Amino acid sequence: MPVAMPVVLRAKCVVVGDSTVGKSALTQVFHSDGTHFPKAYSMTIGVELCVKSVNIPETSNSVELYIYDSAGKEMFSDHVQQMWDSPSLAVVVCDLANEKSLSSCVKWLERVKAKAGRDIHAVLVGNKTDLDTRRVVTAEMAQKAAAGMEVVYFECSAKERENVEAPFYFLANAFYKQYQEKVAMTESLCE
Amino acid sequence: MFDVALSGAGAKVVLTTSSDENYPPENMLDGKAESFWISTGMFPQEFVISFAGMMNVSKIKLSCFHVRGLSIQRSVQKEPLDFEVIDERELTPSDASLQLEEFKFDETTARHMKFIIKSGFDHFVSVHKLNIDGTAVREAE
Ligand SMILES: Nc1nc2c(ncn2[C@@H]2O[C@H](COP(=O)(O)OP(=O)(O)OP(=O)(O)O)[C@@H](O)[C@H]2O)c(=O)[nH]1
Ligand SMILES: [Mg+2]
Repeated sequence: MPVAMPVVLRAKCVVVGDSTVGKSALTQVFHSDGTHFPKAYSMTIGVELCVKSVNIPETSNSVELYIYDSAGKEMFSDHVQQMWDSPSLAVVVCDLANEKSLSSCVKWLERVKAKAGRDIHAVLVGNKTDLDTRRVVTAEMAQKAAAGMEVVYFECSAKERENVEAPFYFLANAFYKQYQEKVAMTESLCE
Repeated sequence: MFDVALSGAGAKVVLTTSSDENYPPENMLDGKAESFWISTGMFPQEFVISFAGMMNVSKIKLSCFHVRGLSIQRSVQKEPLDFEVIDERELTPSDASLQLEEFKFDETTARHMKFIIKSGFDHFVSVHKLNIDGTAVREAE
């Protein structure tokens, strides 16, 4: 049998959430395979784009994530939302040491969904698990919020490079599955 | 009048922005709605078709699925360059069957045509059949 050429899917993955929750840190740690953690805060202005490829297990196929690390500061919100046309996936981030950042997550997800005009796969990520003594958002609280948003919850520490890949891998695999389902559906439609 | 977009008529897909070899772009030009080319994520998506020569195009019929914003452009150059928009519209959604769209033109010549899918009603969109009515333009060498 001839070897099939690998399929490369592309997904626009927007990373959203309040300012300073660690969206850029999460994105950069994931993108650099853990070699780069931005220790000093540098506010994102608008959107920073980076691309990272994720292999799909047991296939030679992959999903290229076009990650749109978006500014959390409200003053950039109009500008930022202009960059979110046709999003494929969303990572909604909160800071586990900041309760307000969790309650904002619903709003962030709604904004992305409004740009999508359809259901998209999303995750809720609680970042900064390393700040255990300052932590105010419990896993239960975050799980409950995620259930309300109908998304899966992950927690991680960008600083400790802990569990940073998991939400991105989850989304890439969900997107891959969505493609397979769409192909099957299209095939059956024109049989 | 001939279907100048058939592979059998010498038409070729010279560029696509997505490729899954199970659903190759030639599927758009085989005259059958069952086989298709499908995008593999994100927008815009585009494909370029080159004809056997200069054609006078009068009508395009497109069978596709979940395509939303579409721009059709033509080029009269030898190489597929200097495209200009000849039609641009939002297609009607359809969830249970293919979209069938018609575009009419008068006196429109083209050697190449570019189709830009600007947006979709889903993450992935497919093009099943492209039928372009036209006649070859006699060219002085
Ligand atoms: N302790 C700890 N600090 C973190 C972690 N992730 C990010 N930080 C710090 O939190 C601060 C803000 O991080 P950023 O990634 O810039 O935050 P942001 O969400 O991109 O903020 P905006 O760009 O303003 O929207 C920085 O000083 C980071 O070093 C983490 O996992 N643990
Ligand atoms: Mg940032």
